[in-house]
Amino acid sequence: MQIEKRFTLPKIGIYLVLLVMLTFTLMPIIFMVSASMMTSRQILKMPYTWIPEGIAWENFAKAIQGNDKTYIFVRNISNSLIVSTSVAITTVLIASLTGYGLAKFRFRGRNTVFMMIMATMMIPFEAIMIPLYMVVMALRIQNSYIGLILPFLVSAFGVFQMKQFLTTFPTEFLDAARVDGMGEFGIYWRIVLPNCKPVIATLLILSFRSQWDNLLWPLLVSQSDKMKTIPQYISSFALERSTDEGAMMAAALLASIPMFILFMSLTKYFIGGSAIYESRKG
Amino acid sequence: MGTRKYRGIERKQARWGFIFVLPAMLFFSLFSFYPIINAIYTSFFDKRALSKLPPKFLGLGNYIRLFDPSRAASDLSFLNSLKSTLVFTLGTFIPLLIVSLILAVFISNLSSNKTKKFLQISYYTPAILSSVVAATIWMIIFDPRGLGNQWLNALMNTPGVDRRWLVDPVMEQVSTMVIYFWKYIGYFVILFITGLASIPPTIYEASTIDGATKNQVFWRITLPLLKPTVVLVSVMAMLQCLKTFSTQYMLYSNGAPRAPINVITFNIYVTGIQQQYLGRASAMSVVLFIMMLLLTLLQFKTTKSENVEY
Repeated sequence: MQIEKRFTLPKIGIYLVLLVMLTFTLMPIIFMVSASMMTSRQILKMPYTWIPEGIAWENFAKAIQGNDKTYIFVRNISNSLIVSTSVAITTVLIASLTGYGLAKFRFRGRNTVFMMIMATMMIPFEAIMIPLYMVVMALRIQNSYIGLILPFLVSAFGVFQMKQFLTTFPTEFLDAARVDGMGEFGIYWRIVLPNCKPVIATLLILSFRSQWDNLLWPLLVSQSDKMKTIPQYISSFALERSTDEGAMMAAALLASIPMFILFMSLTKYFIGGSAIYESRKG
Repeated sequence: MGTRKYRGIERKQARWGFIFVLPAMLFFSLFSFYPIINAIYTSFFDKRALSKLPPKFLGLGNYIRLFDPSRAASDLSFLNSLKSTLVFTLGTFIPLLIVSLILAVFISNLSSNKTKKFLQISYYTPAILSSVVAATIWMIIFDPRGLGNQWLNALMNTPGVDRRWLVDPVMEQVSTMVIYFWKYIGYFVILFITGLASIPPTIYEASTIDGATKNQVFWRITLPLLKPTVVLVSVMAMLQCLKTFSTQYMLYSNGAPRAPINVITFNIYVTGIQQQYLGRASAMSVVLFIMMLLLTLLQFKTTKSENVEY
């Protein structure tokens, strides 16, 4: 963009604002990393010394061992990985199937189906969690992976993205495959799905992250320690270790590593993925 | 003969289309439509989780109780929740909107693409941390001996003052706003940068040729053309803020007072899950749903009538 030379503020001012904001956004993350290697006394020494004197490995040991040395951290972070990965996969599969059906097939009620799915975007999870909780209690699937995953199998937003993307997909390819005698499901699996890679990557990330960050639903359905997820672990660890800031930061850092790895390897899909929301307007 | 065969193919196609959308239809019926109808239904009853008796029909009783002005004096009333949600939403989304717009304009004005990208990624980084982790980091920063006091005192030249971040009712609300603002600012900056990039440069060129000053260009051209993005970002930010839960939950469970941060979702959680008043919690859910529904409809209406053609 060539908007340069079009703003009255002197360049210095602009850079100053951007720099202040940069400090504000990155400072707490650097603080987490540096504090995870310090003892509590070092962390709360005034003024704060950013460079740790040595690495306090015991922080990480405490974070993994947990409050009562049961190593429940390992189980809880695995639970989060299992739930987030499953939700990401089912979201992509069901959303692409539905998006494909809505974009490339004509059938009666197609528009109604699409409008109904879009309408569910207006129903926030927070408003239906109580009835969902009652369903889970009635089905006796609390404290299970099924219970954690079931309400998030697919998202209306995912269906919308897939449909938008596939509407522009050339129908000739599909017809050519049909003439060659390929079954409808085979066409979806071998032609449509492999051609949706950018949308799939974005959807995988968005749905994985939303579950990695989910605290509310696991709070309702996972009461046993074994079925808790990583946000619950951090929450109860922070509560019981409230005077051990170093260990708290070590646990927070360990819990963030999977997201950091995802972010660093797939940055463009994260950034592009949030920009996708832009296309919702109009 | 030929047309009949063709029609047969069409019918077959229609059947496949239906089969493909069926799983999603089942899912949304069971996990979106049924629960919201159930929430509305339950909100008319005095339903308790552990009670074996059939729930008593209350009519609008739950709602009347929620909005009963005589209960407003109680710290943990629903009216108080509405107030703290409103305070939180306004206090978070207005700064988010203004600051992210300013930052996006500044970043778009930079000439180096590398710097642009670096800043976008850096501003976005807090968003990848989970809300629980974000709250944990900031709780330590907001410790009386923590960085929050140190930096603010250095900035305002007031050595040794404790701002009581997690103790004072007002400061506690400010703290939740800071945490939320920090987590989401990068996300909204990127939305605005995308919006700015979609304004064709020819419009700027034309206005510069016509002798418009840089200030005029921003207020008369950039901002009006950006209006759809502004509406979208405001509504999305508001919807996000109305749903806030984790930050408040973390601060409360670590000893901060509950009343100032007893937002609607938190109140639903405590009432429905901890105290097991499912009917009353459902009524709160319905109120939350209506609030968000109105906001979304408002967004649809505004974006439809304000659609800009370049």
